[in-house]
Amino acid sequence: MTAAGAVRAPVTVAFAGARGGESSLTWGQAQIWRAIRLMGAGECFLNRPWVLPVHGRRDLATVLDALRVLLERHESLRTTFADTPAGAVQRVARHGELPVTVVDAEHAAAEGERPRDLAARIAGELARTPFAHAEEPPLRCAVVTRGGRPMALAFAFSHLAADAWALDLLAAEWRSLLAGESLPPPAWQPMDQAAFEAGYVCAARCARAVEYWRSALRDVPLDVFDFPPGEPDDPRFVEVVMESPALAVAAELLAARWTISTTSVLLGACATVLAGVAGRSRAVMQLVTANRRDPRISRMVGTAGQDGLFLLDLPETGLTQPGLTQPGLTQPGLTHSGLTQPGLTQPGLTHSGPTQPGLTPAGLAGICRAAHRRALVAYRNAHYDPAAMDAMRAEIGLLRGREPDLDAFFNDRRAIGGWPNRPAVATAAELAVLAGKTRTRVSGAWPGVRFKAFFTVGTATHTGELHLLTDTAYLRREAAESMLRQAENLLVGAAAEILEEGA
Amino acid sequence: MLRERLARMISEAGDGEISAAEILADGGSLTALGLTSLAALRLIDAIETELGVEVDIDADPEALESLDGLTAHVAGRLTRSPR
Repeated sequence: MTAAGAVRAPVTVAFAGARGGESSLTWGQAQIWRAIRLMGAGECFLNRPWVLPVHGRRDLATVLDALRVLLERHESLRTTFADTPAGAVQRVARHGELPVTVVDAEHAAAEGERPRDLAARIAGELARTPFAHAEEPPLRCAVVTRGGRPMALAFAFSHLAADAWALDLLAAEWRSLLAGESLPPPAWQPMDQAAFEAGYVCAARCARAVEYWRSALRDVPLDVFDFPPGEPDDPRFVEVVMESPALAVAAELLAARWTISTTSVLLGACATVLAGVAGRSRAVMQLVTANRRDPRISRMVGTAGQDGLFLLDLPETGLTQPGLTQPGLTQPGLTHSGLTQPGLTQPGLTHSGPTQPGLTPAGLAGICRAAHRRALVAYRNAHYDPAAMDAMRAEIGLLRGREPDLDAFFNDRRAIGGWPNRPAVATAAELAVLAGKTRTRVSGAWPGVRFKAFFTVGTATHTGELHLLTDTAYLRREAAESMLRQAENLLVGAAAEILEEGA
Repeated sequence: MLRERLARMISEAGDGEISAAEILADGGSLTALGLTSLAALRLIDAIETELGVEVDIDADPEALESLDGLTAHVAGRLTRSPR
């Protein structure tokens, strides 16, 4: 029985793929493997809950057969992982079975819950247990049915098996398979990628990336924040999400005006806010990078993402007020970001207030254009052997007394650059009205995920969905909320000025 | 000519979404023409592989701004590092 009281029945999907085997990890897998170890009790943060809809009238056998085809096509979905004396390995099973639970949605439907929503809830449940990677398939699945007919599939993927890019590939294949189309066999699997990464092309790429990071790590600050940690909340790490259609409108307008991507616009704003809270004129962040530009890797189901190092120097604008980041600011009720921006955290002022003092739209344009270029440099140096990078970081640690803390992140999870379902806005007044619809809420909490500040752009297409996960020893929930509002204020303020000019 | 070759390479990096002719005729911002970050990264890889030139957008922010900026950047590095 589930939390929803739905009836569950177990079935299995047997698969027989074209190839099995064992190889070293890909660099992308190695990076996730390392992150799982570092996160300890918070490792479920890395699991990916996911839902596939079942369109059209398909019976259970058809749906399970399509699932079998996905398992057979993609070695990543039938891979286990283990530490060996020679290092961690991936082991692809040629044959096997995936246990699948069939969940009847009748009970939930009687209580007004749609099958898709039930599937999303089940996916969340499935993702809350750590994967036993040495024994267990790297995905868990349930089929939600109503009246015996499949309505949706609920999944939890280990991040070792799939990144956001891979999930998009699977979603596209799923539509084709349910439509009865046949697909060409995948040409590139993680074991092929591991062999490619062992070659000289990637050795040169890795050496260049390590040198780029080394030169940066020689002089980045040793800490994300200079102020000391306070008493954290329990759980220690909290994530706040802001849903702002105005943010989506503003980011698209500014990206078009400044001829850069919406990612760079959002990155520029988030970096500005983070540097402001840190009281610094330089933002140092890791960028989660897809690493999918090679056409073969762009079609690989697996995990290829790694972290890039993003450095952005900001003009002196009055945004940064280092004198205000002093000890004692982590007391409950006080927010660092509020204190670096007096007034901005007062109710009513976080939203409709003016943009940050000293930062004009032209100034923000300069920051975001620079962010665009700096992001390209970061992306270009984000494909490397994590072991080589760790060795270099340890050397830097010896030189500087300890390794710099780089736990501030930005990740844009969107597969497309805009928000096709956002509302249309023609005037600054309409944008101001839309900005009144912005909402923030807590979207998750974890005991140990190590990040100090982690911005994520979510995949919603109707609203700007910006998440900020923080370590509450440094930034409490209120501070995270205030930082999201500041990023919105920066962009909406600049967009409003452009709309006013055009009026 | 280098300018024409680079225009073709820009077009290929973007999967042909922008034609080499458009790039040659436009002369303005490559991003405004539709060069995405992904295409820009592929372009930098291609220039490195085919021409043996490392595009340094850190040292020269104009390098990926326009076809002329890129041509000047690559030409400068070709003459400095004979291969």
